[in-house]
Parts: sequence; structure tokens; C-alpha cells
Amino acid sequence: MNVKMSVVVRTVADIMVVPIVVFGIYLILHGHLTPGGGFQGGAVVASSTALLIVAHGAMKDNKTDLSNMESTGLTLFFLLAMVGLIMGFSLFYNSLAGTGGIFGGTVSGINPGYINTGGTIPLMNIVVGMEVIAALSLILWMMAKRSGSLEVEK
Amino acid sequence: MKKIIAVIALIVISAFLFGGVVEMRNQDGGGFGNPVETEMDEYFLENSQDHNQVNNVVTAVLFDYRGLDTLGEATVLFSAVSGVLTVLRKTISSKEGEE
Amino acid sequence: MMLYYILQVLILIGLVSTAAAVIWFKDLISAAIALGASSLILALQFYLLRAPDVAIAEAAVGAALTTAIFIFAIKSTDRTEGYK
Repeated sequence: MNVKMSVVVRTVADIMVVPIVVFGIYLILHGHLTPGGGFQGGAVVASSTALLIVAHGAMKDNKTDLSNMESTGLTLFFLLAMVGLIMGFSLFYNSLAGTGGIFGGTVSGINPGYINTGGTIPLMNIVVGMEVIAALSLILWMMAKRSGSLEVEK
Repeated sequence: MKKIIAVIALIVISAFLFGGVVEMRNQDGGGFGNPVETEMDEYFLENSQDHNQVNNVVTAVLFDYRGLDTLGEATVLFSAVSGVLTVLRKTISSKEGEE
Repeated sequence: MMLYYILQVLILIGLVSTAAAVIWFKDLISAAIALGASSLILALQFYLLRAPDVAIAEAAVGAALTTAIFIFAIKSTDRTEGYK
């Protein structure tokens, strides 16, 4: 069964995937400075998966990788929530903000755009983004495969 | 008879909805688009930048003050994917039929 | 400010008409695409109401992912609505 679209659609999809993925990663990494965050950026990156599946109709078997990525994201999110508890505060307390480590820069008042701030919030954005990318891509992949519009390459 | 009941239910529900919209427009000090300020709003807006060094107050509320809700949301997404994979996996009978 | 109100009225008309088109179409793929258009107009409304993060989520999930999932689901069932 031939499920791939014409060469024009495939070329345009290959070109357009790059800015979509870059914009999604920008939304995830700048989630604490500009509108956006883990869920929004993850949904944007997963829509590039939809574009690739619709255009090419064939993909490598990466179900195990996506499944592992999703489980890792959820586990790391809960461990990051436990950081506040371990440091002696409550659950989900932002105990890394302003301590000088990674993402621990200090800004007084309005943040003028320094990305190295925010404590656990950018880390949680990255982890939730990872989980959302894997989850939505996995749902799309499975639906496409079972409806016969995706050939799995060995 | 069924049609009359459906029309009466439609009229009652739409009357409630229109009444809600009219009531929303005429609240004292608030109304649609101008919500009434509470103590928690002012606390978040004033303190989230000092607590977290974060500009996006929505993210600060989502991941710090109301983090448990986000954990539940992530768990809901995880269980949705588990449900999709369980429903759409290859069963023994379909595997015999296809391959 | 006048442009803002004109845009609001146009968005309301487009939102109601696309939502009516979803119910009116008998072809389910047309209905799924009309649902995607409705989500896109709703994302524009969210942006005008100053909630850009909700607008991004609505545009990505409603217009791209939900349409793709609906079309994959329609492809494995019947394309037209109703009993045969």
C-alpha cells in the first residue's frame, strides 16, 4: 500500500519541520520569560510529528524510545518536585531559585531577559516538555499505524 | 410530547445562559473582562518575581504555587497514553488475521 | 478601538458559523476540518483577550493534533455519517 504523498508535499514538509521544532524548543526553554511553557512547546513539537506522518507515511519503529522518554519525563518531574521537600521546605517549593547553581541566577525586580534564572521552573518546563512531546507523538503514531496510514520501517 | 419537552428544556437552559451573561456584565467593580481582584491575585502578582526570579507569572503559578495540580495533569496525560496503547495494541486474534 | 470591536464581531460570526458547519456537514472529513478552523478562530479570540499561552496551546492542539487524530480515526471507519 502506497501511503506517501507527492514529492512537493514531502519536500515542503521536510523544510517546514525545522522551524516548527526550533519554535517549540524556544517555547520550552524560554517558558519562564515569555508566554509559553512545557505543554505549549511540547504540543508544537508534536504537531511536526503529525506533519511528518501525514507527508511521508513511513517512519522508523521508535515506540519504545517514545515510551521510555515519557516515563522518564514524569519520573524526573516528580523528583524535581521532591527537591523542595529534601532541602527542608514544602513539596514543589522553588528551592533552587537564587542559589547560584544551574538556572539559579539572581535578579532584583523585573527580569530583563536572563535565561539563567528561575530555579526549578525551567527544569520543570524542560521535563514536562519532554513528556508532552513523547505522549502526543505516541498517540499520533499509534493512531496512524492502526488506521493503516503509516508503514513501519524495520 | 418529546418535542415539547425538548423545546421547554432548550428555553430554560438558554434563559439561564443569557441571564448569566447579563449578570456577568453588571457586577459591581468587576464584570466580564474585568474580574474582581482578590488577595491571592495581588500576592502572586507582587511576589512571584521576588520568589522565583521569573517573569511569566502564569508559569510561576503553574509550577510553584499550584504544582500539585500540574503533577495531576501530567499523570492524566500519562494514563491517556496508556489507555490508547492498551486499546490499540495488537491482540492475538488480529495478529493471526494480519500476519 | 473601532477596529477591535469590528474584529470581535467578525470572530464571533466566524466561530458560530464554523461550529454550525461542523454539525451541518454529512462528510466527516469536512466536519473535522471545520472543527480545526473553529479552533483556529478560537485561538485568535484568546490572543485578542490577552491570553497568548492559551492561544498557542489551542492552536497547536486544536488545529493540528486533534484534526490529525480525527482524520486517522475516520480513515479506519466510515467516511459518511448515518446508518446504511
